[in-house]
Amino acid sequence: MGVSHASSTKSHSETEDDRRLRERIRENPGPALRWAAGMFLLFIAEAGALFQTIGRLLVAVTENLPGTPGVETANWLAWKAQTVPTLLSRETIPNQGHWNGSEWVGTFAGLEPAQAWGLRLALIYLYGCLFVLALWYGYLTYRSAYRTMDWTPRDDQLRRLRHNNWGMFGLTVVILFLIMAAFAPAMSPTTIDQNIQEPYSYEISYWNDDLGQVSTILVGDANFQSVSKGNPSQNVGIMQSDDFGRFHPFGTMNNGKDLFTIIAFGSRISLFIGVTAISIAGTIATLLALATAYFKGLADLTVVLVSDSIQSVPSLMLLIAAGYLFSDTWVATLYDGAVLLALLFALIYWPGMWRAIRGPSFQVAQEEWVDAARSYGQRPLRLMRTHMLPYIMGYLLVYASMSFAGVIISTAGLSFIGFGINAPTPSWGRAINAGQPFVAQASWHISLIPGILITILCVGFNALGDGIRDAIDPESDTDPGEGEGGAAGGGA
Amino acid sequence: MSRHQYLARRILLSFPVLIIAGTIAFAMVYLGPIDPVVAILGQQYTPEAAAQIRENLGMNKPLWGQYINFMTSMFTLDLGQSWVINPGQSAKNVIWSYTPRTIWLGFWAVLIPLFIGIPMGFYAGLNSNSWNDYLTSFGGIVWRAMPNFWLAVILMTILANSEQMFGFDWAGWLVPTDIVTPPDLAFLASPADALFEPASFWWTPGDDGSFVGALKQILPAALVLGSASMGNEMRIGRTAVLETINSNYIETARAKGLTRRVIVWKHVFRNAMIPLVPIITSEAYLLLGGSVLVELVFAINGIGYLFLQSIISGDLPLAGTLIFLFSVLLIVINIAQDFLYTVIDPRVGYQED
Repeated sequence: MGVSHASSTKSHSETEDDRRLRERIRENPGPALRWAAGMFLLFIAEAGALFQTIGRLLVAVTENLPGTPGVETANWLAWKAQTVPTLLSRETIPNQGHWNGSEWVGTFAGLEPAQAWGLRLALIYLYGCLFVLALWYGYLTYRSAYRTMDWTPRDDQLRRLRHNNWGMFGLTVVILFLIMAAFAPAMSPTTIDQNIQEPYSYEISYWNDDLGQVSTILVGDANFQSVSKGNPSQNVGIMQSDDFGRFHPFGTMNNGKDLFTIIAFGSRISLFIGVTAISIAGTIATLLALATAYFKGLADLTVVLVSDSIQSVPSLMLLIAAGYLFSDTWVATLYDGAVLLALLFALIYWPGMWRAIRGPSFQVAQEEWVDAARSYGQRPLRLMRTHMLPYIMGYLLVYASMSFAGVIISTAGLSFIGFGINAPTPSWGRAINAGQPFVAQASWHISLIPGILITILCVGFNALGDGIRDAIDPESDTDPGEGEGGAAGGGA
Repeated sequence: MSRHQYLARRILLSFPVLIIAGTIAFAMVYLGPIDPVVAILGQQYTPEAAAQIRENLGMNKPLWGQYINFMTSMFTLDLGQSWVINPGQSAKNVIWSYTPRTIWLGFWAVLIPLFIGIPMGFYAGLNSNSWNDYLTSFGGIVWRAMPNFWLAVILMTILANSEQMFGFDWAGWLVPTDIVTPPDLAFLASPADALFEPASFWWTPGDDGSFVGALKQILPAALVLGSASMGNEMRIGRTAVLETINSNYIETARAKGLTRRVIVWKHVFRNAMIPLVPIITSEAYLLLGGSVLVELVFAINGIGYLFLQSIISGDLPLAGTLIFLFSVLLIVINIAQDFLYTVIDPRVGYQED
């Protein structure tokens, strides 16, 4: 396997390269500076949002730690972060305003709320795409200006992925989803506090047609009067505004809350669960795969037995049962149950991931260079990291991408029956459940939109997985059954 | 390693797996953060009643005694009693009374995808890179990615409103049935009727239901539950046909002057079936897990529904029993698959596992 041989030498020399990368940049700082300047501009534009997110995260973490150490400092930091300006925020391009009889007040440049929101959405996606391109450009800069090797197998794999339309389609879908999750607060037409969590603590102004003047109303009352309940007279559908001048890109829920806001914040929690679960499961699977491939025998047998046992329990049932059992514990209160779900998914998914990379690990463990490294007296840990890990990384990515789809479907399924993420944190599954009675009526958007988005996202993750597989192993005969179980989310 | 040895090893290895699976079920019921006695009693909690149940469940013994009790009763299939769902009934009876509908659902959920997914996959493989191929493949991928519970909701609504939407009344078609209802399987009790009273067995939906009626009632749920497998079978069937077609022995057969029909039916399809076998396992896995949500949406009171009810109402011993039974079922299916595999493909077991 010439490919894997070369990739292992690459990673080996990369550790030495890391030491000298700084020197090489010092010798030829031009390209790196240009790239850094671009990144700095992108960073400045969104510095406020970044600081605020970090501040909120710090507050959440310190509040949940025993004894709440440093919570005052965190609160102060989060408060300070609000003063840092952000380019793409609802403050810079506001879409929430009201009609005063002759013009729109409070919206960006006097545009209609829908146009102002559309502009913000477009700019956010533009920014997100620029950011991704900047990262890619950074890699290209490193490759052309600072890498010592002219060519590595990774170059070929990336080239194959870039020319694989199906895989690039998947990557695009995934990136769009990531941007939505990252920019959920700025992207949604209203804030989660105002519209979903404390609608009776906020007041909005609107143009009262009956009185012919601007009146004020509590958000909760306004929500109550813009519900989508099936019949056309009580419905705020896709791309419609309600009676209070509020624009709802995906319409409203059956309780009058904005569906787009729920979807955007729901994508955030799905992403959190997916990333946490897959990275824990992937770490466990990688460590075990390396260990079992290196030591074989009893170590392998033990892991086979344990993973078979976990896989023999239907995953949805395990999730439902565990969700019930832990419902009163403190773990279930973290992020409204998302942390618990993520841990459970990690437990359920590592056996599948380990199975998927077990074969490639065994293959690489039999290669001569592993023997050679061993006979040179290299320690097992270092040997596994430098000579085996790079080879199995790609296979892990394939399965991880497909498992991600499974996690998202399962999370939605669990929330659908009330076992997943608790209210008030928004989730896609609960939206589908709420819209169930209205599917055949005017308010079909409540159930249909989240479902269609889940489908597109899962197709995207599967396509990305296919693309990576074709890229790392162009002649692979698609292993039947491999990854399929994970992709379907245990039947949810 | 010969294939018999391989199979023997697989069966031997399944025993420790069974024990670990049983331990997981035990841990859930007796070691979880919720006391099963408290869960069973719920609002009616009194210390006397609690002591009574504790005694009955054998929870006054030390933990290892409880563990041995639990495991022996599981392995001898003496499953204890139901506490909340059907108080006083033996768990075995309760589970048996819910089983037939799940089996009926599972049977069709396996069969329908087999007869739709594989032919479509083979068709796409034989006509690779045509528009029909792209359409079929893409359809399969999307069909597979749709969440089952969502698909169930949509399908159910469409069927309930088929009259207004398409001018086709699903509920009244062939045999009048309700849409969201468990299938009536009482007709299966007298299988002899299939020959002697064919009308009442196959067709007339009397008090005891009929074959066609029950099939029609289960069809939407089976279609949803089988959706993932259908997509998988299509994808893998397509790849398998493509690979077989391009192999050398097909070239030889073609050179010998065999007709296309003989090549396709005799040489391509038989070998293309091999990689489809392991799909059975993942299918069984999806069926068992997915039955919970699909049965809930279609209001089919089968095992998955029973499991959900037992969790919601706090009947933890029953839920633990069900989890264990499902594990046993999956392990058995796994071994059956391995056996089938050794029969179809003699090379199995000779390679490194």
